Amino acid sequence: MPDTRRNVLKFIGGAAAGAMFTPAPWRLITDTALWSENWPGVPRPLRGEISARYTNCSICPAGCAVRARCVGGQPVSLAGVAGHPLSRGGLCAFGVAGHQLPYCPGRLTEGLVEAAAGAIARAAANCNPDAAGTPAAVCYPAERVAVLDLRPGRTASWTYRRAMGAVKGGLYLTAGGPFSGAAVDLAKARTVLSLGAPVLDGWGTPGNVLAERAHFRLIQAEAIESRTASLADQWLRIRPGSAPALASGIAGALKKAPVADMAEATGLTEQQINDVAAELTQHGPALVLPGDDCLEAWAINEQVGGFGVTVVARTEPPVPEAWTKGCAPVTPLASVADGSIRTLIIDESASGDYIPWGGIRRKLVADNPVVIAFTSSPAGYARHSLFVLPTAVYPETLEDIPGAIDSPRAAFRMAVPLVAAPAGVVNSSEFVAKAVGLDAATALRERADAIRKAARGVLITYADGRSRPTAQVAPDDFWKALNEGACWIDTEAQRAAPPAADWTGPGARPAASPRLPLVAVLTESATAATAPASPLMTKLDRESNLRLGLRRAALHPETARSCGARDGGRAELETSLGKCRIEVVVDASVPRGILQVAASPDVIDICGAGARCRVLPL
Amino acid sequence: MDKRFIPAGISRCSVGKFLLWLAPWAAMLAFGLYSAGLCLVKGLNQTHMNNRFAFGLWIFLDLTVIALGAGAFFTGFLLYILKLKELRAVINSAVVIGLMCYGGAMAVLGVDVGQPLRAWFTFWYPNVHSMLTEVTFCISCYLTVLLIEYVPIVLKNRKLRQIPSFLVFEHELHKLVYVFAGVGTFLSFFHQGSLGGLYGVLRGRPFAFREELGIWPTTFFLFILSAAAVGPSFIVLTTWLVEKISRKRLVKPAVLQSLGRISGMLLAAYLLLKLVDTLVWLNRTTPRSGFLPAQYYAWEPFGLWILFAELAFFLLPMVILLWPKLRARTGWLISAAGMACCGVAVNRFVLTIQTLALPTLSFDRFLQYLPSWQETGTFLAVLAAGVLVYSFSFRYFVVFPEERELGAAPSAAP
Amino acid sequence: MISEKKPGKICRYGMAIDIDKCTGCGACMIACAVENNVPPGNPGATDLTGITWLRVFKVDNGEEYPRKESVYFPMMCQQCGMETPCYLVCPQQAVDVDPATGIVFQMPERCLGCRYCMAACPYHSRYFNWWDPKWPAGMEKTLNPDVAPRMRGVVEKCNYCHGRWHAARQRAAEAGLKDIIPGDYVPACVEACPAGAIQFGDLNDPASAPAKAAGDPESFRLLVSLGTEPKVYYHSKKEWARRIGDPSRAPAPKEPSRG
Repeated sequence: MPDTRRNVLKFIGGAAAGAMFTPAPWRLITDTALWSENWPGVPRPLRGEISARYTNCSICPAGCAVRARCVGGQPVSLAGVAGHPLSRGGLCAFGVAGHQLPYCPGRLTEGLVEAAAGAIARAAANCNPDAAGTPAAVCYPAERVAVLDLRPGRTASWTYRRAMGAVKGGLYLTAGGPFSGAAVDLAKARTVLSLGAPVLDGWGTPGNVLAERAHFRLIQAEAIESRTASLADQWLRIRPGSAPALASGIAGALKKAPVADMAEATGLTEQQINDVAAELTQHGPALVLPGDDCLEAWAINEQVGGFGVTVVARTEPPVPEAWTKGCAPVTPLASVADGSIRTLIIDESASGDYIPWGGIRRKLVADNPVVIAFTSSPAGYARHSLFVLPTAVYPETLEDIPGAIDSPRAAFRMAVPLVAAPAGVVNSSEFVAKAVGLDAATALRERADAIRKAARGVLITYADGRSRPTAQVAPDDFWKALNEGACWIDTEAQRAAPPAADWTGPGARPAASPRLPLVAVLTESATAATAPASPLMTKLDRESNLRLGLRRAALHPETARSCGARDGGRAELETSLGKCRIEVVVDASVPRGILQVAASPDVIDICGAGARCRVLPL
Repeated sequence: MDKRFIPAGISRCSVGKFLLWLAPWAAMLAFGLYSAGLCLVKGLNQTHMNNRFAFGLWIFLDLTVIALGAGAFFTGFLLYILKLKELRAVINSAVVIGLMCYGGAMAVLGVDVGQPLRAWFTFWYPNVHSMLTEVTFCISCYLTVLLIEYVPIVLKNRKLRQIPSFLVFEHELHKLVYVFAGVGTFLSFFHQGSLGGLYGVLRGRPFAFREELGIWPTTFFLFILSAAAVGPSFIVLTTWLVEKISRKRLVKPAVLQSLGRISGMLLAAYLLLKLVDTLVWLNRTTPRSGFLPAQYYAWEPFGLWILFAELAFFLLPMVILLWPKLRARTGWLISAAGMACCGVAVNRFVLTIQTLALPTLSFDRFLQYLPSWQETGTFLAVLAAGVLVYSFSFRYFVVFPEERELGAAPSAAP
Repeated sequence: MISEKKPGKICRYGMAIDIDKCTGCGACMIACAVENNVPPGNPGATDLTGITWLRVFKVDNGEEYPRKESVYFPMMCQQCGMETPCYLVCPQQAVDVDPATGIVFQMPERCLGCRYCMAACPYHSRYFNWWDPKWPAGMEKTLNPDVAPRMRGVVEKCNYCHGRWHAARQRAAEAGLKDIIPGDYVPACVEACPAGAIQFGDLNDPASAPAKAAGDPESFRLLVSLGTEPKVYYHSKKEWARRIGDPSRAPAPKEPSRG
């Protein structure tokens, strides 16, 4: 063929036409789909060997056993450990996404570590004028150093007690309450009366509560239709703040006293109160769970013979002998004199109930108190603190979890590190100990050794599902097993009655005023939780309506109309303690006159256990 | 200045006046393109559509403009296949309008989908069970047909026909006009029907679901008929509008009356079938799916009134257009044409928006939807582009062949 | 396009959900999101634009206190077995019904994002990516390697953790078996439920929980009258709750229901 342009073009054209009859172009077309499937910005999951690692969840005191599916050592999903005697294989919504906590946006990783250490050391030295190396220090006996432990019962708690014991006048504080010395045996209960405790919604150990659910009748007395109220066998809708009245009504009914006044206060009939009292005695063993605002209901357990049956003394795992000498006693915050604490160290690293700031502030000296918070979240006590020190979060930590409220047997289980903590974080208890000259780096090992030495109870290892008597496990193996996901449980469940004490609640709620016509009732949220939560929690409270989301408050349509608020509108929530911005949600299941608001630290600060409030649309 | 591009025998306003007319539409187009750009770049979260309101303003307006643009195929069918010669006066206008309607609808669909670059997947992995596959194929083909039908209008431009190859091409193309008209009618028949079929096959939405005739739900046929009925009315409406804006006489009144009469007859046929279909749907289809007809109209604002409004918007124009005395009066004719167009809009609205607003599960709630400004802006772009292209065509091409003979004293107009 | 028949047992996987046991804790919803690499909600997301392959609703009997009763109602893709609406309407076959398992699975890689399937689904179990998925810094380390993350503009839905089915088949193949070891394939929500309210199994196996539920008069399915043959059986002892699946049950109250 002669070399002309026309011939070249003919060749090319023919080749192109012929190529259409080969698979090549058709394969190429489908392959170009690949570029539309993989835009930059879509992350690639890690690859690696798949393995299982075991730990215990330390997000809440339930301490459920966890099996982590790991890829190249990084946990990618969590599940419960089937057949576990305490957690029964269950994990709650928070636990299931616990491995994502380290990546919460806004998590604190930096703090003024040295300055805080110095502040603690100086404060301790100020109280120990006899200590060597102290310059002309003045000890102000009324201005003490204190540690507020939001999750007592841990080995770290013992470290705090020892540290405060080493400081003259040092205080070890907890929130107190009836369950600090008592535990509940749900398996024994046939009737449970809860005055606002969220029994089916995050109370105790979820797997255990659900496993026992079929065996007891649940009566929930509460002002709002909480999750527990809607699932209970009977919901008694009482007026907000009238739980103490109901408690004294039932106590009175059990003594055959008249209950007319109490019925009036709660909005129930006398017959209803008498029926509840009758049920507690006739369908026992009964258990009465007080809510935060009616601790006095605790005493009813004694009246119905629950002490030693459904409510027993809380015991903890053995402790090294040396620790108990010279350590500070456990002091409820409420019993401390006002204005007597100069330096307060708050351990918020392990979540517990958030105490409204006002209740803490009044215990501090009026001017320039030094508050040091150990926390990973900027939303809690960090807002009120002078020094904020970042801590590791689950599953970066090595720490033990105290017994759950529904665990009558003492248990020791550790959350073990599955991922490395970031560089700037500190271990709160070791930090405080070091600042006062105590070395607590091996506290957990010492504790484990003390438990092994007591040779009681059984060790349950999760990897193989075995349960062995402690005495048969070598000390080193005992420690090793605890570090690989295991649980020590004491032999016998306690049958001792809990310590006698009279518990009183926060007192009567102020009466309604024209300026503050509504009552604020707090509910559990998912992303507004006082504990850190995975970013996926938006599924529960923003991408669905299962829970009330952060800074959202629900009102009955009529109440909303009377406030001038509309669904989805912005408003200001005002109480006598302060204000905060909220978004209004209109919901017909909220009783009239009540503002149901998601509990987050800033809201709890201004509402406490429930306060009079008003809503101003913006 | 551009007189040599303007067809001989007709007059148009000055370039300055023309640009002044174009300016606001160009601004609207720019705003609309910006809105569409936002949706493409940032994603469909710019709209107010959501998981329960998967379709919104765009789909509703797409269906409406495609029904209105049916005048293109139907006029072609009437002119080239049924040989109604007087319609030659409006066929070009119909083609331009049809092109803008379909082109605009396709453009909006390109923004409406989450992955516009995967649009070719429908052609490569077609699903023979899906009405949307059929719609995609037919609308794409028909848009091509419309483009081909538009080409002669362009090539007949005074300057362009001076190029010999264009003249020859246009001449050859014109010989095939009957083929294109036939193909166009065939394609349109199917896609107008499939657009109705989109909703009629939704077993999960009993409000939209209809009984089948053959393999097609009744909405398939009803949509074809309503589009055929309303297409001519839209031609009447737009022709009148262009006459009013340009202050010229563009067609003989008899042409509009002829279109009106055709529209009226088809509306009558449509209404009859629609009534039968509605009764069957309410009394047989709905109870069979376990729902109650009362549930459809129990929610405000879509009470029973909307069903009657839909029918009234077809009934009133039908009466007017079939009544010669009324049809002869421009006021009545135009009102009737306008009402018929509204009727088709209400009909498409009911099937797209109301279908999605109604709950299916017993614990669902009734949903509300209002389009965002980005959605509205995108559609304004379609409107503006249509006006711009039509204005351009009206100025430089012979859109109304009868204008020359009717054009007596032209006044200053674009 | 229907996949070619694979050798081995033909299963029809379904679920049996006891709504009397469900406490609405949401552990199933979170476990599903963890397993399937669903991103956290965009700051602008609401309950209508978020992605919750599994979503728990609160449904009540429409009465006021004290006669008011509520149940929590987990809903995921019902895996319609007949006239599967989404499969029939997808213009580019991005939905496939696997004849070996009966699972209706979505191919986000092929999805155009036209959302026709979402309009077709009466159970509202399909979710669209209105935003680009974004994970907070570092959280992409926790993604499940067995599931491909999606991008913006495509539809996704529950597929009974199909990645776990593949893994179970792999394990069965390694053990030299033709069929999956019973109990080895369990979707994430079933595994996570602390109350054991969600059970999973093969409807073709008479001993499985869903098969038993299918024959139980106290069980019901949703919108059966539409003829979609859903494979999720709900169970309740409450008579009013058994009518939740009935489309002509008293219309929902005008105020939104929670969930």
